[in-house]
Amino acid sequence: MMWKDKYKIGVEAIDQQHEELFRRVSNFNQTIRNEVNWEAKLDKVKETMLFMKDYVIVHFNDEEAYQEQIGYPQIEEHKDAHAKFKQGIDNYVKIFEEEGFTEEKIQEFGGKLMAWLIMHVGNMDQKIGEYVKSKGGQA
Amino acid sequence: MKVEYVNSFYKATKDVLQLLVDIEPQRGEIKVVQDLGSNKDANVELAVVGDLKGTILFSFPKNMTLEMVKIMSGMEMDKIDNFASSALGEVANIIGGNALTLLSQHNYTCDIAPPRIFLGEYKALPVGNGKALLLPLSTPIGEFDITIHLNEGN
Repeated sequence: MMWKDKYKIGVEAIDQQHEELFRRVSNFNQTIRNEVNWEAKLDKVKETMLFMKDYVIVHFNDEEAYQEQIGYPQIEEHKDAHAKFKQGIDNYVKIFEEEGFTEEKIQEFGGKLMAWLIMHVGNMDQKIGEYVKSKGGQA
Repeated sequence: MKVEYVNSFYKATKDVLQLLVDIEPQRGEIKVVQDLGSNKDANVELAVVGDLKGTILFSFPKNMTLEMVKIMSGMEMDKIDNFASSALGEVANIIGGNALTLLSQHNYTCDIAPPRIFLGEYKALPVGNGKALLLPLSTPIGEFDITIHLNEGN
């Protein structure tokens, strides 16, 4: 699995969504890399891909709402990072629409998505936890 | 070539690898080289444009590449496939982006082109303008190099 406890930020609702996101991406990567014939697993790949695209948006919206609620000072910078992340996913969705769900492009997408997710949660999101802690919260 | 360039890339590499793959690279002795060639198995090239122009080359041995992707994904890796090479390219891209942020603190505004990944020996033309610096880095999972060729643009 991709998830490591060091990625926790100490805010339970967000940590739960992060774990779910990591689990989904991890399952997605296992699916696209297993030995099953590509055509046979294509429906599952498409379905997971669309689910993840939606789940990322739900999670980012929830996280931004939480940042507003706590008056997080770096919210604009964080929203920019979310927008770039979504743009990265949308670029691939566009490629898949235009070129089809090729194994080559899906694998390429899976590798990048993994790095983006770890970097975002492991770095940028940690600052939310640090802020909550600095304000005497439970993080 | 200025020390800020090397330090920015070293610091960005250290921070990103620590976060993504839980390893802390130690820097070796820097060398001056005449070209950007590498005989390591997986090479990622980043083109830099803006106040600084040039190329950064990350060169990893196969086993280290597979181990890094394994640590990130939690999956066994036995070959550098599209998934692994894409992940490696993105790691280099993130390092490059962070290094440019550090360089911006020294008033250099630059951008990087999407990473280009080369599997197998990387042969590049000799650097036309000045020399390149090769920074060897050692980690518990292998040794890799960053070759930096940057010039101040006009």
